[in-house]
Amino acid sequence: MMSCVDNSLHQAANSTFEELGFMLPDRELSPRQSEAAVDAEVSVVFRGPFEGYLVLRMYGGTLGVVAMNMLGESEAPAPALQRDALGELANVICGNLLPAIAGSHEIFRLDSPQPGTPDPAAAPAGSTLVSTACIGLDDGRAELALYATEAISPTGGPA
Amino acid sequence: MAFNVLVVDDSAVMRAMVIRTLRLSGLPLGEVYQAGNGAEGLEMLDQNWVDLALLDINMPVMDGETMVDRIRENPATRDLSIVIVSTESSDTRIERLRAKGAAFVHKPFPPETLREVVLQMTGVSDDELCGQLAAPGGELDF
Repeated sequence: MMSCVDNSLHQAANSTFEELGFMLPDRELSPRQSEAAVDAEVSVVFRGPFEGYLVLRMYGGTLGVVAMNMLGESEAPAPALQRDALGELANVICGNLLPAIAGSHEIFRLDSPQPGTPDPAAAPAGSTLVSTACIGLDDGRAELALYATEAISPTGGPA
Repeated sequence: MAFNVLVVDDSAVMRAMVIRTLRLSGLPLGEVYQAGNGAEGLEMLDQNWVDLALLDINMPVMDGETMVDRIRENPATRDLSIVIVSTESSDTRIERLRAKGAAFVHKPFPPETLREVVLQMTGVSDDELCGQLAAPGGELDF
C-alpha cells in the first residue's frame, strides 16, 4: 500500500506531465517502457521545514517528446532545450510535492535544477531515500526519487 | 493598444511557454522582453517600457519576490502590472505577493488560466479582443 508521501509524489508527477507536458501517464509499464534506456537525469535541492532533493530521470526518448509538447514544436528541440525542459519538469513536480507533504503554510526554497544527482557539497547532508515513483509515458518512462534529511511520517510532514 | 511584456524565469523553456500562451491568448502584444533572473529583469525595466511583467519566484541571483519589492520601490515602475507564475504554494507567501499588487498563476497552468489572469491585469475584455479580431484586417476578417 502506498504511503501518503508516495501518493503525493505520484500525483505531483502525473499532474505535471499532463498539464505541462501534455502527456497522459500510464498506470502500468509495458515491457517496452520498462526496458527503455535513460535519456537524462536532473535533481532539485530544496530547503525548508525539511531538506533534501528530488531526482527525475527520463527514459525511452520521452524527454524529446515532452520538450516538443512544452514548446509546441513539431520536432524534438535541441539537447540544451530538452535539458532545460527536464529541469523545469523537476522544478514544478518538486514545487507541488513539498506543500502536499508539509502543508500549504510552509515555505520551501528550491535551488535551480542541476544535471545528474546533487554534488555532495550542495546536497543536504544525511539525505536518505524517502519515496520513489515510476510513470509510464509514451514509449518510455519517468522515474522519480525523493531524498530527505529527516524522516517524513507516512501521513506526511516531518516525523 | 499593444502591450510590451517582460517574462522573467530561469528556464528558457518556461519563458517560451508563457510567451506562446500570451500570443495564443489574443492579447495585442508589442515588444516581448525576456530575462533569466530578477536582476536581469530589473535591467530590462530600466532600459525598456514594459506594460506587464510575468515573473517566476525561485530564480538564482535575485528571486521574484525581491524583484517585486524593487519594482514597487521605484517610482518609475511602481504601478507595473505583475503576474507571478510559480509553483509556490505557501499561502503566506502568496498573500504577501498579492498584498504587493501581484496576481498569481500556479504552475502547471492551463493556458486559459494564464490568459484569464493576464486579461484581468491588463483590463482587456474578451469583447474587446473579439472586436479586434473581427475588425477589418483582423484575424476573423474573411
